[in-house]
Amino acid sequence: MAGHPDAADLVDAVRGFLVAVESRLSGREAFHAKVAGNVLAIVERELRQQPERVERAALARLLGHDGEPAALRAGLCAALRDGRLDAETPGLLDALTEATLARLAVDNPNFSTFRRLKETPP
Amino acid sequence: MDEVAPALQDLLRRETGGDVAVDRVVALSGGAASLTFAVDTRRDGSAWPLIFQRAGAEEAAVGALAKSVQARLQVRARQAGLPVAAVVAVASPADGLGDGFVMERIEGESLAPRYLRLPDYAAARAAMVGQCATALARLHAIGPGEFADLPLPAASPAAARTAMYELYRGFGVDSPVFDLAFAWLAERLPDEPPAALVHGDFRSGNFIVGREGLRAILDWELAHVGHPMEDVGWLCTNTWRFGAWQRPVGGFGAREAFHDAYVAAGGTLDRELARVFELWGSLRWGVMCLQLAHAHLSGVRPSVELAAIGRRVSETEIDILHILKHGEV
Repeated sequence: MAGHPDAADLVDAVRGFLVAVESRLSGREAFHAKVAGNVLAIVERELRQQPERVERAALARLLGHDGEPAALRAGLCAALRDGRLDAETPGLLDALTEATLARLAVDNPNFSTFRRLKETPP
Repeated sequence: MDEVAPALQDLLRRETGGDVAVDRVVALSGGAASLTFAVDTRRDGSAWPLIFQRAGAEEAAVGALAKSVQARLQVRARQAGLPVAAVVAVASPADGLGDGFVMERIEGESLAPRYLRLPDYAAARAAMVGQCATALARLHAIGPGEFADLPLPAASPAAARTAMYELYRGFGVDSPVFDLAFAWLAERLPDEPPAALVHGDFRSGNFIVGREGLRAILDWELAHVGHPMEDVGWLCTNTWRFGAWQRPVGGFGAREAFHDAYVAAGGTLDRELARVFELWGSLRWGVMCLQLAHAHLSGVRPSVELAAIGRRVSETEIDILHILKHGEV
């Protein structure tokens, strides 16, 4: 709705404010203001991209059942810890790569390995 | 931090037996576990630039050495021919300076993104491949008898993996990629008794670099008795290339040339294990990120910086997956 800022719009507005005051800070405070701006950019991307949806779909396909992302993750970790699944499990590396790329698109889309994989799809 | 200046001056006069005046003490970095200060002094009238390093108010990282031990280790490494700042004085409790020591200040560039990218450092980058290989070969050649008197942690690669796994599990975080990596490493890390002196954090970001190359190796606080390939793999871990992924050795060189130079300098190379330790390096940095974020989330050290580091975990996860799929990153 025009004129109604959503959560990501609000975060973006605060980020703009931080950029404006950053130049008046120095030393550790200026550094932390820059970090805080980067953190808000992560929050904004997460709100818009919802990487957990991608992760949920990828893990559900791998495990053969749906669930909350945290529960799917916990189930997968348990299977890896007791050796029921390993790096040779068909589809495992692809599912984890898909989920991790979705998270990296939020956390740090400039990261070298993210850019390499996006530029040269498998 | 000028309140430490008189105590530093007393210490330096006593240790050198000379006429030393401390003019200025400037805090350089504010790590919670370790504090570093630039100390401007004059000795017999000439400028004598020094560094004072001491333990911070908070507990050091698990396995981190006391500053007094670090100082003794730096002396041994320097004797073995490594580029390391000369230790000038080690504080004793009566000095009122805490657990700390003073070393000579070596001028140069310490910011990795600068010496990895600026054209002015092209010759330095080329030279550093051989210099780092030689430094590590010399470090790893130091006989056990020469460090047996130092209280250093010791662990075989297999035991170190188990300790790191327990640390990871302690955070209550479920990372399928980390669990996959721990299982993969369990099949590949040897359990042979640790025998070599290992720097433990030998990487871009812990060097002083001049136009001609490597001038000094810093940050000895994670040194331990372990496997030489730990250092060889850690230097090549993608995190420490600072984006220059095409140059696997610390973002400045080629892996083959570095490995060959390590052998030429007398090092015993296990190429396969060195590669295993590159994946280990990504996992290790990933667990360190969890640990730093945990310090914020648990309320021990509330900090936006530490919270943000928690989101660097996915960088290490994609590197681990890339190595598992393609053999390298």
